[in-house]
Amino acid sequence: MKKKYIRHSLSRRLSLGIVLFAAMILVASLGFMFWVSRQAIRQEAINHATEILENTALRVNGILDKVVIAANNTEWLINRHLDTPDSMYVYSRRILINNPDLNGCSIAFEPNYFKDRGRYFSAYSYNDNGNVLTTQEGNEHYEYFYMDWYQLCKLLDRPVWTEPFMDYNPDNNIYSHDMIASYCKPLKDKNNVYIGTISVDISLSWLSQTISAVKPYPNSYSIMIGQGGTYFVHPDTTKLFYQTIFTETIEKPDTAVTALGHAMQRGEEGMRQLKIDGVDCFVFYKPLSNTGWSVAIVCPENDIFGSFYRLRSAVTMAVIAGLLLMLIVCFRIINKELRPLKTLATQAESIAQGNFDETLPEDGRDDEIGQLSQSFTGMQQSLVKYIDELRQTTAQKASIESELKVASDIQMSMVPRIFPPFPNRNGIDLFASMTPAKEVGGDLYDFFIQDEHLYFCVGDVSGKGIPASLFMAVTRNLFRIVAQQGHTPEEIATQINLILSHDNEQNMFVTMFIGCADLKTGHLDYCNCGHNAPLLDGEFMKLKYTNRPLGIWEEGAFNGESLDDIRERQLLIYTDGLTEAENMQHQLFGDDKLQELMAGAKDLSSEEVIVMLQEAVASHREGAVPNDDLTLLCLVTKK
Amino acid sequence: MKKNRIIQLAVILAIMFSIMRSEAQERFVFTPQWTAQAQFAGFYVAYEKGFYKEAGVDVAIVHPSATQSAMSRVRNNESHATTLQLCQAMEIMDNGIPLVNILQTSMNNGLVIVSRRDKDPLTQKGARVGIWSIGFGQMAICMSQKEQLDYEWVQFASNVNLFVAGAIDATLAMSYNEYYQLLQTGMELNASNMYRFCDHGYNVQEDGVYMTREYYLKHKDQAEKFAQASRRGWEWAAAHPDETLEIVMKYVRENHIATNRVLQKLMLHEVLRLQIDRESGKREFKLRPDMVKLASDLMLECKLLKKEVTYEDLIVK
Repeated sequence: MKKKYIRHSLSRRLSLGIVLFAAMILVASLGFMFWVSRQAIRQEAINHATEILENTALRVNGILDKVVIAANNTEWLINRHLDTPDSMYVYSRRILINNPDLNGCSIAFEPNYFKDRGRYFSAYSYNDNGNVLTTQEGNEHYEYFYMDWYQLCKLLDRPVWTEPFMDYNPDNNIYSHDMIASYCKPLKDKNNVYIGTISVDISLSWLSQTISAVKPYPNSYSIMIGQGGTYFVHPDTTKLFYQTIFTETIEKPDTAVTALGHAMQRGEEGMRQLKIDGVDCFVFYKPLSNTGWSVAIVCPENDIFGSFYRLRSAVTMAVIAGLLLMLIVCFRIINKELRPLKTLATQAESIAQGNFDETLPEDGRDDEIGQLSQSFTGMQQSLVKYIDELRQTTAQKASIESELKVASDIQMSMVPRIFPPFPNRNGIDLFASMTPAKEVGGDLYDFFIQDEHLYFCVGDVSGKGIPASLFMAVTRNLFRIVAQQGHTPEEIATQINLILSHDNEQNMFVTMFIGCADLKTGHLDYCNCGHNAPLLDGEFMKLKYTNRPLGIWEEGAFNGESLDDIRERQLLIYTDGLTEAENMQHQLFGDDKLQELMAGAKDLSSEEVIVMLQEAVASHREGAVPNDDLTLLCLVTKK
Repeated sequence: MKKNRIIQLAVILAIMFSIMRSEAQERFVFTPQWTAQAQFAGFYVAYEKGFYKEAGVDVAIVHPSATQSAMSRVRNNESHATTLQLCQAMEIMDNGIPLVNILQTSMNNGLVIVSRRDKDPLTQKGARVGIWSIGFGQMAICMSQKEQLDYEWVQFASNVNLFVAGAIDATLAMSYNEYYQLLQTGMELNASNMYRFCDHGYNVQEDGVYMTREYYLKHKDQAEKFAQASRRGWEWAAAHPDETLEIVMKYVRENHIATNRVLQKLMLHEVLRLQIDRESGKREFKLRPDMVKLASDLMLECKLLKKEVTYEDLIVK
């Protein structure tokens, strides 16, 4: 239905085509533009996030460096005073006094390092609301040398930052969410043998706040994970210290999150696109100095591309509206421009239905449609004129055809058409047929019995149509008149020739075979006047005299011949319409074929012979229009 | 009239006070050997579901603190029972403190060694291997000697940070605890870098509830009741893992433990699995003499014990 609706209207098809093409161009160009814009926004987001991460890292590193410097500056003092353990209290205390931002400092030694101090010696100073308190922290409940902060740098043989840990108050057994991290450095004696660890603690609350405050987009957030993947900064505070970036992937594997976690653990810097809690996000990550910690900014894709998506939706809507408007306008314009064509089509249809006087509109246009309209008007006028002429011609033709029909009837009535012709006589098997190529023809045949003699003839007038038919009528009448006077065939021929050749200005002539059979004796006299040799018992008759056709020359007599007895013999007389019948390829029926057919027709009746020959001719023609009149006469007399 | 009332009130108050005092004296303090986690789920369940009350025991669950371990509380008579691994209990007994196993929960060994990426722990001769400073891992020490691996043991207080930071080559872990903590750090663990002791002839039972024989002899009835109610708690936990997890998480939150639901769920599942005896396919809740013998023999051979500790020494006679 839809297809039909579109296919049946040029304006609809054209407008749709134009709009579709325009839509393709627009989609391609807008698609490219959107792609480029998206890439640009993406790059901008990357730059923005990277810059923020860089700045954050710089700030963090600046503060963490202070801790490193504080530890380094104290190290040499420790080494210098290894013989006075109590000085360690002074140094650990001094670090805190000189750096009020720091939370605590331990200068801890291997078990039993100082013989007089027993198994535990760790000079620990801590900042208690601005007051620096100092104590020896090792005891059987707190075997510091098993702690991460002590062992990590010892085992790794280099300074390290511990994983951040929750601040713990042993007095009330309460953990606070205050995040502490320790910078630990191995202490070595003169022989480069490990003797203990100096550990400087710093509260990372500021770090947490700094990183949490990083919010480049409205719904973005920051996270920080440690070397073990533990969250130390996360908007969901229930995850802090308790969960790692991998926790949820244990139950619900998520390769993207796992890969991100591993990349952050490896201290890589970069950007990844992945789903977090079902939301498409961009995650920008960067390690924090050499702490082993990594910071990441998680930006929901919708945040980064929010305004882009809004713009894209608006532009898409505008484009769709524009295309719809374009479709309507195009349709209207094209429809208006093509309206004359529609009118022309309607009028052409009206003209086709016979309303030739339909008046065509004059729109005064000189474009292609104007020209078409003018041409159409000219064509209509010519058509009207032509139709008038045709009407007249048709009327005339109809009149002629009607006359010709009458003429044909008259002509056909001139030859005997009732068979068997002599119902009272059993000894005569005679059958004849005449088929004109046109309405009327120039062939003739005739026969009658007079005084126990059967007179018969078959003739073929030169030419075809009305002139030949008139000449045929004259000839047939002459045959009747002359033959009835009891003449022999050659006399009949001589007399007919005399009359026909007289005043024969048209030079028309007729070939004719005239025969007269004595029904008692079977004797046959005949005269062939330029006609085809008849077949007797399937064989062409050997004629001594062919004679000339009738009607050309007055002078001279015609020679006749005779056969003693033709009884029980089959005589076929025909016109050249039989042997010269053409098919589509203009091949003739031919004498051979006739002879062949007649050879097998000896036992057939005359009528069967004629019908057989007529069918053979029709079959030979294969539908080709008859090229000549066809007349056949077959005679068998009995003893 | 008024006077009578005052006297009546005073009498009632006096009776109530005496009842409260007597109850306070009979209170049974149980201290799991570690901080709150699903490893002790059955005891939390027994408490929360009132199984202890129903059994007529006034139980208080007190976790150890950073300054006071479970065993030191037991020694000081501040706690009356604690959980210990079989090997730990044997060591303590070897050191002269007679203990009684009143309930055995674990039927299998959950100790594993995990080494760094794709390295078979058995190929790492002389490797630095982490071990708990408070004394689990006797089977690992025995294995190290028997297999002539001569591991260099690095004691740690808790967590898996030393291993994650790459400070040690391998670490001991409990299949219900540190193993999952390691998974949680993004580590990929598989058969090639993990050694399960239970599969290599070291399947020695672990957690059981112990008390000093001295205390047991004085409070047999109370100890029996506690053991039965605890067993009921574990059976209920096995039948209701989801509700049990909720109870565990309540304890975890109250004690500010740095863990999460995923870890506790996995831990509960594994602990319950370890409670099923491999041979009987049931939760037996009793010490197996053959495992005691195996542990004792191994530890004697490796000089972790001075003399044999027998099944009879451990059980209630």
